[in-house]
Amino acid sequence: MLKVFIYILIILSPFLFTGLINKVKAIWAGRKGAPVLQPYYDFFKLLKKGEVISRTTSFVFRIAPSINAASVFLALFIIPIPFLGSVIKFPGDFILFVYILGSAKFLTVCAALDTGSSFEGMGASREVTFSSIVEPAFFIILGSLALITGQLSFESIFAAINTSTGYTILIKLLFVVSLFIMLLTEGSRVPVDDPNTHLELTMIHEVMILDYSGPDLAFILYSSGLKMVLFSMLIANLLIPPSINLIVALGLFLGIISLIFISVAIVESLIARSRMSHVPQFIFLMTALSITAFAVIIFFLYGGF
Amino acid sequence: MPYYLSGSIIFFIGGIISIFLNEKSKAVVFLIFSLISQIFILPESLQVLSSGVQIESFLLFNEPIGTVHFRLDPLSAVFTIIISLGSLLAAVYSIGYMKMYHGKNASLNSYYFFLGLMSASMLLVVTVQNAILFLIVWELMSIASFFLVIFENKKEEVLKAGIYYLTAMQICAAFLIAAFSWASAESGSTDFSSFKDVLIHSNNTGILLFILFFIGFGTKAGFVPMHTWLPKAHPAAPTGVSALMSGVMIKTGIYGILRILLLTGMPDKNLAYAVLILSIITGMLGVMNAIAQHDLKKLLAYHSIENIGIIGIGIGLAMLGMVYNNQTISALGILGALLHTINHFTFKSVLFYGAGVIYYGTHTREIDRLGGIGKYLPKTSVMFLIASLAITGLPVFNGFISEFAIYLGITKSFFVKDLSLNIAALLGISGLAFIGAMAFLCFTKVYGISFLGSPRSEFHPLPDEKESSMLIPMAVLTAAIICIGIFPLFIIVPLGNVVNQFLGGGFYPAQPEIFDVFIPISVSLTIFVAAILFFYTLRSLFLKKKEVKMFKTWDCGYQGQTEAAIRMQYTSSSFAQPFLTLVAELVPRKFKLKKIQLFFPKEASLESHAQDLSESYFIQPSIRWLNKFLNLFSWIQSGRMQQYIIYGLIFLVFLLIWILGVE
Repeated sequence: MLKVFIYILIILSPFLFTGLINKVKAIWAGRKGAPVLQPYYDFFKLLKKGEVISRTTSFVFRIAPSINAASVFLALFIIPIPFLGSVIKFPGDFILFVYILGSAKFLTVCAALDTGSSFEGMGASREVTFSSIVEPAFFIILGSLALITGQLSFESIFAAINTSTGYTILIKLLFVVSLFIMLLTEGSRVPVDDPNTHLELTMIHEVMILDYSGPDLAFILYSSGLKMVLFSMLIANLLIPPSINLIVALGLFLGIISLIFISVAIVESLIARSRMSHVPQFIFLMTALSITAFAVIIFFLYGGF
Repeated sequence: MPYYLSGSIIFFIGGIISIFLNEKSKAVVFLIFSLISQIFILPESLQVLSSGVQIESFLLFNEPIGTVHFRLDPLSAVFTIIISLGSLLAAVYSIGYMKMYHGKNASLNSYYFFLGLMSASMLLVVTVQNAILFLIVWELMSIASFFLVIFENKKEEVLKAGIYYLTAMQICAAFLIAAFSWASAESGSTDFSSFKDVLIHSNNTGILLFILFFIGFGTKAGFVPMHTWLPKAHPAAPTGVSALMSGVMIKTGIYGILRILLLTGMPDKNLAYAVLILSIITGMLGVMNAIAQHDLKKLLAYHSIENIGIIGIGIGLAMLGMVYNNQTISALGILGALLHTINHFTFKSVLFYGAGVIYYGTHTREIDRLGGIGKYLPKTSVMFLIASLAITGLPVFNGFISEFAIYLGITKSFFVKDLSLNIAALLGISGLAFIGAMAFLCFTKVYGISFLGSPRSEFHPLPDEKESSMLIPMAVLTAAIICIGIFPLFIIVPLGNVVNQFLGGGFYPAQPEIFDVFIPISVSLTIFVAAILFFYTLRSLFLKKKEVKMFKTWDCGYQGQTEAAIRMQYTSSSFAQPFLTLVAELVPRKFKLKKIQLFFPKEASLESHAQDLSESYFIQPSIRWLNKFLNLFSWIQSGRMQQYIIYGLIFLVFLLIWILGVE
């Protein structure tokens, strides 16, 4: 029952976090900023509107937002809540997690190309290039987690890693940083992408959805919001300390998620977006960190090389 | 004689009979014969696969061949099913596709004859158990496919590609002949079962033989660096044949490797690692080169190399599992490799057939000339999209299932406490993820640029889908892609019998573990499909009674001609450019740039050609060295008549001395 409640809370939350980011950024910049609930108002307004659809497009453009929404929902149920576990769990469920999000991305990219706009093609091209670097790094993290815990599903991996002590602190730290980089990349935030830019030439994710409007746009905004929450849930799961009671753990879980979003906002306020040609280097940092983590694990498991 | 052998002969007879018919009825008669042979082959193969009981028979030949055993065991049955279905679909597809060549003085006679011969010989390759006969049918298969590749032999590049292919196949055969004759000499018999003792990896002969066999069969399958014939031969062949070659024929190489592995039993540790690493490299280089291509069929050919790499990762994993005595890893490796073999047949055939439908309508394979083709070919577009998702390994399609099995096997090997195995597993898991991500890039490019967007060129007449014979094979295979994707257990359970063969004994220990995984996957994927339908209905409900306006694509308020907007669309080259600059060392490209000059520029152009590393650093240098070496003996054949007469004289003198000496 509590589990259902928490999941519903998370399903309702994405726009709260988006609003939070905007508010923190506004305060940091010395502005008052839009209300935290503003994204919700936008969302419901979009649902009520009609649509303008490009004549160039085909069926791909129309189904992509629905597939996006379906995939983030399925992915959400694979990620566990501390002490309560996840809904879908089986050995290797993290592979399904990655690939189900992948199929949404495939359709989004195709929908961008469907409009025949050169801007959207540009965004699509960048998106696939960057995710081709992120993917192997994420699998290195997952493999390392399997190696260190001897488990193959998110739920049991997190349960095991949070009870083990010693050098896992170091591993966790490395993973948290690299997952944070992944969150910034997948959530299209600064320094990889700037959601607030007003120039199509400089965008990645935002430019791919230029032609969407109405309910379809609402679906997409919701999905990308929830996707960021998914990755922050992964990070939060890593950081839950063992031997605390359920309520504290849940509070901590939601607290860490909020903290992650606040740090996204702070990162966004402090640094500017990287040049496109420098973005891969930033993402390679994630690869480097995860390989380091793997090396550390090997070092401790086998007592030196 | 068992039925499946009759089936093979019926394919051949169909090919012969079609020679004597006119252009229009050839295809239909060949199709009827292909259908009849299905009746002979499929029930028997399915029965063997599901029961695990093999069918054995033998034919008596004159010396030196002797008694030849034919055996249809579960491993062979997997391949006979693919081969006979693949040949049938190629026959259906050819009815429509070959209309392009009607009344054009093309040699349709040879087309159907060799198609029949190729199908027949492939069926024999995977069932015969005798080295000599195996080599004969292997060569028949290569030669039949060679003649199919050079079908359009009036085009120079087709002929060139054909000869390159034939040469590669002869090199492959040379390795196999060497390996088989060595094994026969050691064991004293040409029957496969007698090789068991020779192939054991505890002695050096076994290891060397395995390497020879692997090079031979690997060349056919398309392992790096011997893969260079694929991107040349596949685009040259008519599309039905390309699909058959890529989806089915190269799998005979995989069959060979698996058969040898089955005879070997416990593989050598270093060899197992070597196979795994080579497969990872094969997969990565294959897909990287594919990204750089803009010829649709050449791109698909490179993707075959990638998929052979993935199958190879499965085989390598299975070998490692055997080495470390871990049945679960072996089972998942073999299962993944076999599943991917079957799956690759389904989606790669759909992709090739789709490319053929495009070529039929537009007479171009250049992705950058297409665009918006999905509007003229809506059914092809949907099926091509599904196959693209499947080849990328995305759910809910079958590519995901096989890649999942391999992924799971690799992650399970993290549990074995062995340093080198863990590092290999890390390479495997990140390599497979990288391959998947690159395939993602490549197929968003292929599908997005050619099927979506605005048309980049005008076609007269417009391409259409009137030829239903070209759509039916695609539809059948697409249905298979979806079924295997959502309900994988229906195919995994019978494949268990093949896994049994490798792991020995009637016990299939990994089965409960595999059920634990694939049942939840089935359930979650069903939920996924339901969720998509739910959200789509929700969207339709929201849009009900609301205005949905059709307008032009947003172009930042630019009010210029639409012509310019179409030409400004991202092309396949520009789409792939950011990634290709990242891997510029591995896929070097040559640019020919004509710059814009002066104030009234006349013309400007940019050409780019991707080079295949192994072509320029391995194949070409080895050809040069071989030429140099063989030139040392060129004086023997000088072309002067006097010299040849002297040869004759020397020969006669030798003969005289020999006869005298003997007496």
